[in-house]
Amino acid sequence: MSPTDRWILDMDAGPIYVQIGARVKEQLARGDLAPGEKLPSARDLAALLSVNPNTVAHAYERLEADGVIETKRGLGTFIREDAPVAGTKKETLEAAAVRYVNEARRLGVSLDEAADAVKEAWNAGSS
Amino acid sequence: MRGFKTLLWLEHRRSWVWAVSLFASLAFWAWGIKQVLVLDIASRAGIRSGLLGIAAAIGLLVLAIMIGRFRGETRNGQYQVMLLSPPSGYSHILARFVYAATVAAIYYVTIAFLYWWIAELAGIHFDAVTLIELILGLPLYGLALIAFPLMAWVLLLMVVVSSYRLSGSGWIPGTIMVFGSGVAFGELGEAISRIAYSLPGWRIFRHAPGALIERFGPLDPEVSTELSQVMYQGVPIEPVLVMLAVTALMLFLAGRIWQEVEA
Amino acid sequence: MLAHLEHVTKRYVKADGVLDLSLGFPAGEVVGVLGLNGSGKSTLLKLLAGLLQPTQGTVRVFGKAPRQARSQFVFLGEQDALWTWMTPRDAEKFMSGVYEDFDAARFNELLDVLDVPRRKTKAMSKGERGRLRLAMSLSRDVKLYLLDEPLAGIDLISREKILSSLVREWHTDETILLSTHEVAEAEGLFERVLLMKAGRIALDAQAEELRDEGKSVVDAFREVLS
Repeated sequence: MSPTDRWILDMDAGPIYVQIGARVKEQLARGDLAPGEKLPSARDLAALLSVNPNTVAHAYERLEADGVIETKRGLGTFIREDAPVAGTKKETLEAAAVRYVNEARRLGVSLDEAADAVKEAWNAGSS
Repeated sequence: MRGFKTLLWLEHRRSWVWAVSLFASLAFWAWGIKQVLVLDIASRAGIRSGLLGIAAAIGLLVLAIMIGRFRGETRNGQYQVMLLSPPSGYSHILARFVYAATVAAIYYVTIAFLYWWIAELAGIHFDAVTLIELILGLPLYGLALIAFPLMAWVLLLMVVVSSYRLSGSGWIPGTIMVFGSGVAFGELGEAISRIAYSLPGWRIFRHAPGALIERFGPLDPEVSTELSQVMYQGVPIEPVLVMLAVTALMLFLAGRIWQEVEA
Repeated sequence: MLAHLEHVTKRYVKADGVLDLSLGFPAGEVVGVLGLNGSGKSTLLKLLAGLLQPTQGTVRVFGKAPRQARSQFVFLGEQDALWTWMTPRDAEKFMSGVYEDFDAARFNELLDVLDVPRRKTKAMSKGERGRLRLAMSLSRDVKLYLLDEPLAGIDLISREKILSSLVREWHTDETILLSTHEVAEAEGLFERVLLMKAGRIALDAQAEELRDEGKSVVDAFREVLS
């Protein structure tokens, strides 16, 4: 996965700083980022994504408030050793579930039909 | 004036081809001079002098074109770059003028040098003082009287025409200037001739007639009288002073208007 | 405010440029000036640069008339405004001779980052010339950058290089006004967007707030134009 693949942004999908926060949590949840690992500086990430550095800084502030990352003076920004990996996994999964359920509801299917589709997809995926 | 040297450098890079062509043409004229082989020495010198007269006139034309070419730059955005640069309009105008004036000075001093060569070929030997008057004094007099005001006028004209470009009626001030200048210079000429000779003049070619007589024998009485007048009364300084002031005024106006241009 | 316009109107002989604009630009903002051709984007930037004089109203940059403040800001015009015989070395010589705030070391770094060939501009592509001019602009240490369509007519790779250089070189106390047609491409860069239509401001909003409402800047742009 190239660096930009991990940081997909959709201008129609709400504020960028929220999306960046979500991307960090997703990467943490998937193991693409490990606790203690260094994140790109706000400016480097901004340059990579062609977004305003203030926006990235805003995202990092929120992540810091959420206890996911920390800034060590002079060294950079890191995922916290005690970052809530399990929590972000749960969050990411639930967010995906919400998206799936919304789609299912739009299609007008029942919970059972929706659940069956999940099982089929799961089995297809593991072969 | 920060950046003046850089503006001169810029002017050189923009215009060196014109300058070099002008200087190279002198080689052509020098060659032309050698080619004149009419038997009568006086006529030969006369024809050769005529050639240099043409070279001098062409030089004025080329210098006017060289200094006046910035229509292209107003269109291509280079004017924008210069307008937004820290040096004032006066600096920009002065840099263009100084470069062109330097080229003009070199050109006309070289032509004067060629006149000396023509004289030498005809067997006329001037003394040292007359030589300096011929090679330095005469060109500088002519530059101050004719070439500098002409170049400053062209610069001013081009600035005026360019500055009203956007308003769409730029031709009006331009036309006024062209016709107005004709009238203005006429009036100026009259005014100058009235005050000429009120200050002590510069005595020129004091020893020239002696050299001519030595070579060709006694001079024609008419020519003799004219030469005496020039030699004993001297060439008036007033026209030069007035034209230098007029030149400075035109450069000042050009600089002032240049800064107001919309680009 | 680093710069502001008060009830500024600019009328041309055949058309109107901008009508009764009043705007302020504080320090540290990255502003996108968006709109169709003829909407007044260029006129706005040129008024701020002092290249145009308002028909009515006042423009102040760093508290002065723009021409007086010209050594304190950068204007990057749309036109390919370099002499054809100039090489990057010549450009460096010109800039450092004329601007006190020009950083030659940064200029050479940017030439490398932006991959500008060391040739005369007449031997460069439009994209390469655009990158050279951007390098010249970003090497000046000022607080206000007025960039008029720096991406116009430029190839994709050059545009990407230009945008990422802008992000890298921008400092938080600097203000950038950037006009562009490439709304989608440049959208992420802007904190504030000015959408212009027929010489007036149709929308003046914070980009992230628009997105909070579920609209991308592109969406807002389309809305305004219809």
